[in-house]
Amino acid sequence: MRTLVVVDQAPYGNWTGREALDMVFSLAAFDQPAALLFLGTGVNWLRAGQNPEAIGQKSLEKNLAAAPVFGVSDIYACETSCRRFGLDAAGLAGNVTLAQSVLALINTYDQVVFAG
Amino acid sequence: MTSLSYTLVITGAPWASQAPQSALSFARETLAAGHQIDRVFLYGDGVLLASALATPPSDEPHWPRLWAGFLGQHQLPAAVCIASALRRGVIDDTERARYELPASNLLAPYSIAGLGEWVEGNLKSDRVLYFHGSN
Repeated sequence: MRTLVVVDQAPYGNWTGREALDMVFSLAAFDQPAALLFLGTGVNWLRAGQNPEAIGQKSLEKNLAAAPVFGVSDIYACETSCRRFGLDAAGLAGNVTLAQSVLALINTYDQVVFAG
Repeated sequence: MTSLSYTLVITGAPWASQAPQSALSFARETLAAGHQIDRVFLYGDGVLLASALATPPSDEPHWPRLWAGFLGQHQLPAAVCIASALRRGVIDDTERARYELPASNLLAPYSIAGLGEWVEGNLKSDRVLYFHGSN
């Protein structure tokens, strides 16, 4: 069963994105294929050079960088959302694939889970 | 009619979101319609539904007790995510002892479990339904 976990909320303002990350890592730990899609304001998760120590949080960029170690290698970002937030390939952290069609991507998964 | 099995995931907290109420209404109707609920999994802020210390004013519905009563009545397995629960101060006796905390407050019949419980729900149930808060 292939699962796509969608993060559609900006980082740092609440905890749902972090908990979505735990969900996707957990699927991978139980050998269930899982991938992440960042959508809408959620694409700001992928901004390179995050420095959240001043607000007392751990860097999500670092959390995401660990994804391949946990067995999650497919990380997607909605291309339209990236453009909306002024993110180009150079400004994106890690190994992210831009999705031109979210619908086409979603249709390749058995189930889709929203972070909250 | 084809009978379906469900895992219900509640991530919205009582009194901060409508998620627990919506989930309870859905759960009641689901059973009434002859379907099956495999398990209920509380995640994120949803774990606050399993606090035995919630004390709303007496003229308001007590969502934690209503949910716990429903689970008990139908003998449904229900778990709270350990990572979500510990962060938010929902603690069973084992964790109270492990972290040397002054009290525990996990409401029966919930148990504390890992996300593996949720993964299992994904694999076993026909449907996994999420009740989110409104962030």
